[in-house]
Amino acid sequence: MTRLANLLASIGAFVLGYVQASITLISIAGRSFRGIFHFRGRAKGEVLNQMYQMGNRSLVFVTVTLGALGMVLVFQVCLQINKVTGDQSQVGPEFIKGMIHAFVPILTAMMLATRIGAGIAAEIGSMVVTEQVDALRMTGVDPIDYLIVPRLIASTVMTLALGLFAMVVVILAGAFMAHTSFGVNYNVFFIFDKVLPGDMIIGVSKLIAHGAAIPIVAGYCGLTATGGSQGVGTATTRAVINASLSVIILDFIISAIGLATVQKVG
Amino acid sequence: MIHVRDLHLSIGDRPLLKGIDLQVERGSVWGIIGPPGGGKSLLVKTLCGLFTPDRGSIRIDGVEVCGLDEPALVPIRRKIGMLFQNNALFDFMKVWENVAFPLARLKPDLDEAALRERALMRLREVGLAGSEDKWPSELSGGMKKRVGIARATMTESPLVIYDEPTAGLDPVTTSKIYDLLEKIRQSTGATVLAISSDIQGLSTFVKNMMLVHDGQILFKGPLPALQECEDPLVHQFIRGLSEGPL
Repeated sequence: MTRLANLLASIGAFVLGYVQASITLISIAGRSFRGIFHFRGRAKGEVLNQMYQMGNRSLVFVTVTLGALGMVLVFQVCLQINKVTGDQSQVGPEFIKGMIHAFVPILTAMMLATRIGAGIAAEIGSMVVTEQVDALRMTGVDPIDYLIVPRLIASTVMTLALGLFAMVVVILAGAFMAHTSFGVNYNVFFIFDKVLPGDMIIGVSKLIAHGAAIPIVAGYCGLTATGGSQGVGTATTRAVINASLSVIILDFIISAIGLATVQKVG
Repeated sequence: MIHVRDLHLSIGDRPLLKGIDLQVERGSVWGIIGPPGGGKSLLVKTLCGLFTPDRGSIRIDGVEVCGLDEPALVPIRRKIGMLFQNNALFDFMKVWENVAFPLARLKPDLDEAALRERALMRLREVGLAGSEDKWPSELSGGMKKRVGIARATMTESPLVIYDEPTAGLDPVTTSKIYDLLEKIRQSTGATVLAISSDIQGLSTFVKNMMLVHDGQILFKGPLPALQECEDPLVHQFIRGLSEGPL
């Protein structure tokens, strides 16, 4: 009987912990979005600084990784098609469509979730454990306005910009691979007829949503860090995992909504 | 200045403050001592609203702190300058920016040149002239403490809290720090709460002492009365005896 009671208590504590964490995360998200519309407590130039840190410093990482992925993907598709029909004419249009509404947004966001998410959680987490966040609060500064809102704005803008740039890179890399390895003519590859306005709307919506989710989830992990350097390490790991999961979940939701609504627009 | 009644605070299921009652008069200087983990830092942070108590009352200048949300706490926190245990210097700001930060929040109309000038003046007072453009990581432990003290006293708040102002410092630097705190206190007339494990050094600066252990205040009163206190734990702690209840 005591064992059962202990088990039930553990389950209850686990569920309560998750409910409490969800409420805190929703509260941070709400306060962060509200903070976008006023300048109270935001450091001068911090948004631009964060945009540089997140955007410019991720450019090579995103370009190289997505360029390579685009080439590998096209190579494999062409290879398989060669074995079946040998007609490569649909590779380009289908590849472009898939990249725009599905692959580039999630891949870009997953890469940024690891790079940006880890950085945000480590930075804010170490500020928490060294009492810097308490020192901010003592001077009347809201840590969410000061630390998370600039990162939210910067991440949203730069994820969108990097994602659009990555679409160009991945399509060019794919076309280059198809042309050099399988002799696909560029004119045949670059056919955009299959890309509907709905695909573009979904792709852009995903980039914006993912860009906003990463700093909020990572910021939450940083702000709830406890202990010393071990706590910061745990917060960083949680940030990468949770930000990646949030990207995947948001991607599913937006894809489902998009399929049911705007993807047919054309 | 500060009235605390029946203050209780738990973190998780661990009760950490157990019925604290306290009254601190304006302009008085209190030392807070006690064994590590007894709740000294937690008590002062709770006074500032950095922790939310389970029950009880904290009144600062007649304003109830308990139950206030963050925006409502801002005017109360503006009356408090605080040196944190680990200094809590902003590592992304230079020394002068750290010192000027509370003033910049209090007086947003001051331009950068005026803020820098005021920060430099305060840095000169704490003996750190010429260090204004350094980063906190370039400073020694004693210098970091001085920067923390300069930041805590920058707005000349009516209440100043020093959490371990001399921890980890050599006796000479400790003595200089207490001289500095006394000089600042005399010029501002602020009410002071100073936490320290160094009873001897602290005794040169404070007039009253309280001993916090296991979330309770075991002694509070004027400094001479501490020596006469017959509580075995207080007796052991202030004399540094190895035998006793601790």
